[in-house]
Amino acid sequence: MLKEFRKILVKVLHLRSVVGYNSLVFALKKTPLIGKIIPDRLYKTTFLKVIYWVIHVIREVLALFLTKMAGISLVYFSALTVTMLYKSADMLGTMSSRYLFGTFALLFFFVYAFFGLVLNVKIFEKTTEKDYLVFMIRMNAKKLNNTLFTYDLARMFIGYLMVGFVPAIFGVPVCCWLGIPVLSVFIKLFGAGFLAFRYKLKSRRHELLKGTAAGDALKVILIIVPIPFLFVMVTFGYYVPLSVLLLISAVMVLIGTWGLFELVKAGPDLHRRALHDGVIMEKESVRVAKANTQNFKKLKAKGSVNEKKKGFEYLNALFVKRHFKMLAVKPIVCALIILGLTLAYIVLVIMEYNEQFGSENCLNMVLLNIRNLFLFKGYEDPLTTYVPDSASLFFRNAVQYHLPALLIPLAFADNSFKSTQAMYINCDNSLMTFSFFKQRKMIMKLFDIRFRQLVSFNVLPAIALAIGSNLILFATGGQDYPFQYLITFVILICMSICYSMYWLVIYYLFQPFTTTVRIKSGAYNAAYVIFSIFLSMVVWLRAHSLVLAAVLVFLTIVFVFFMRMLVSKKAPKSWKVKA
Amino acid sequence: MEFVISHLVKSYGSKQVLKDCDFVFEEGRIYGLLGRNGSGKTTFFNCINSDIDYSSGSFYFRSGTDAKEQIPVQPEDIGYVVSTPTVPEFMTGREFMKFFIEVHEEITPDKTIDEYFDYMMIPEDDRDRLLRDYSHGTKNKMQMLVNIIAKPKLMLLDEPLTSLDVIVAEEMKNVIRSQKAGRITIFSTHLLDVAVDLCDEIVLLNHGKLEPIDKSNLGDDDFKEKIIAALRDEDDA
Repeated sequence: MLKEFRKILVKVLHLRSVVGYNSLVFALKKTPLIGKIIPDRLYKTTFLKVIYWVIHVIREVLALFLTKMAGISLVYFSALTVTMLYKSADMLGTMSSRYLFGTFALLFFFVYAFFGLVLNVKIFEKTTEKDYLVFMIRMNAKKLNNTLFTYDLARMFIGYLMVGFVPAIFGVPVCCWLGIPVLSVFIKLFGAGFLAFRYKLKSRRHELLKGTAAGDALKVILIIVPIPFLFVMVTFGYYVPLSVLLLISAVMVLIGTWGLFELVKAGPDLHRRALHDGVIMEKESVRVAKANTQNFKKLKAKGSVNEKKKGFEYLNALFVKRHFKMLAVKPIVCALIILGLTLAYIVLVIMEYNEQFGSENCLNMVLLNIRNLFLFKGYEDPLTTYVPDSASLFFRNAVQYHLPALLIPLAFADNSFKSTQAMYINCDNSLMTFSFFKQRKMIMKLFDIRFRQLVSFNVLPAIALAIGSNLILFATGGQDYPFQYLITFVILICMSICYSMYWLVIYYLFQPFTTTVRIKSGAYNAAYVIFSIFLSMVVWLRAHSLVLAAVLVFLTIVFVFFMRMLVSKKAPKSWKVKA
Repeated sequence: MEFVISHLVKSYGSKQVLKDCDFVFEEGRIYGLLGRNGSGKTTFFNCINSDIDYSSGSFYFRSGTDAKEQIPVQPEDIGYVVSTPTVPEFMTGREFMKFFIEVHEEITPDKTIDEYFDYMMIPEDDRDRLLRDYSHGTKNKMQMLVNIIAKPKLMLLDEPLTSLDVIVAEEMKNVIRSQKAGRITIFSTHLLDVAVDLCDEIVLLNHGKLEPIDKSNLGDDDFKEKIIAALRDEDDA
């Protein structure tokens, strides 16, 4: 049995190493510049494979330390912190601090183990390596699952025991430092056995062996509820006595043993079916990619567009009509939130004024300031003299000199990335097989239409932010120079235009998406990283709004001009479907 | 008009998929490009359609009269029908047709949109549905139809009959036959019977090279044996 365990484990680790190595070479070959000089024979270079194998083993060991040991260390650390707090608050009573530490350690461990039970029972989890081994190489699913599960249990036991030696040195009871690793094994056995039992029942009812949405919701509740309860309980000096915890431990050992029997009873067919039905969850990235693709496919043939529109104008109008939610909802909602907050602030100010000075004075103030707004003046209060406080000075300074910082909320509200994904998955992906679509003239025609369309949506949050910024200017003394309100709009709109242009250009230049809208372009990722670094530097810039506007208008024109030129030159080559 | 392939080479790393390919395709004929799975048929089409870069060589048109003339191949000269039909799923069939005809300003359609649909036997109740909801066969017909409307000089058909039912496959064969006049049609397949049934000429893509097969006995059992023998690797013996 041990020999078989070792044999399967070696196969799995070897497969992981091979998959990891080949993925690394593949990624390198796809990297711009260096990709072309990397030869195919790298896939079979034994020397490099051995190096990767060593790195892989180190990574396995590190995983042991980082995941298993970090978790249990947190339990011990929390127990130590609470014990010290109790000691300093003179709440120990007749207990020794070691005894109390042991109690808290065991209590916290049960909470930690409970979370693990809810979220982290992976025996039936479908992974790439299990896919290969069970469905291609046709390995016995039960033997594979049990081997990996045992390997996981062993790693956990050793990791917990190693961390447990530290409290053991300080004289913590043996039921704590040795009990926790042993208990963790039984709790895991219970979790896996319970799952096997559940799937056995589901299998009898011919149901799919997978989790449900209701089950996922229940998990979230089970995780969220105990935390505040435990926090309040411990803060007020209540905790579960050690004797009760030991009783629970005994129960866990019993149900863990039951779990072991259930696991032994579960046949290879159940394991295989459970893997087949994608039990628990697929790899998150794959699941998200699939869900993403399906989201883009939710279309309805409703409505039509103005028949006067022709060619690409017609195509784009139809595209916008059928993808309105995808393209417009985010920028519109963001703009409404910004405007809503602005409006809420105005209402609050008016209500406070009304309460302080009465409705007649309030109405006068409102009318006076509406007039001032139209005359491009600042806020005026007929009853009190405006004395700026530190908060208003801070905000005024921000809109005078730190408007580049608004690139951050603008980036959040910008929907260009998702828009380009929708363009690809529902339109370009198919039209790219037609030669007319790859002609420079056609590419540029559609590019210009799409640029205008992207700007028209993404400019909404920019305008909302400009209104908010101008309101701050208005409330804190008005304009410093003529047309400052207008200049703020110009700055924000320019920023938004640059964002839209940037995302559209890197989409056209690198066409990074696969048919499942995953990104498969090193150059695209590199462009994104460079742009992010550039942005993170720019947002800290201090620049007077007038100077900023002049520079931004110039830069936006130059940027749009050169980016269009670049697309015109390069896109006919880059405009291809990626597998 | 002829379509000339001259010393075309395509390599993926150290692997040469197309090795110094030379061939002359003539107007008005359907060429069956026959090769085993993975022999490079799609790569060959992708090179011509500029979907991938080729390593060296060239291809061009020449009029039948001047052997030295080299007319460059423009994107609009090529119609490409792929085996897995891809059509813009957010449009209905009619909307796609309207868009396609409008962007091709250079062509004057000789039929109305509904007449085109009738010609391709696309059912009436499909015409105003989203292309996403079309069956595989109807998507394939749509792809074929727009390529016919564009009137390309060179039609590349990459296994277009794969996974079609017998009725639709037969309809498609008739359309391909009826469209061969005035253009060069290259039809790739790995199915020998389809190639023999549909094509005027058979070209083998074998070990990275294009090899013409004597067409005089097209349809004979001996002919099939000859092709199988040519395609068979030494390793298969």
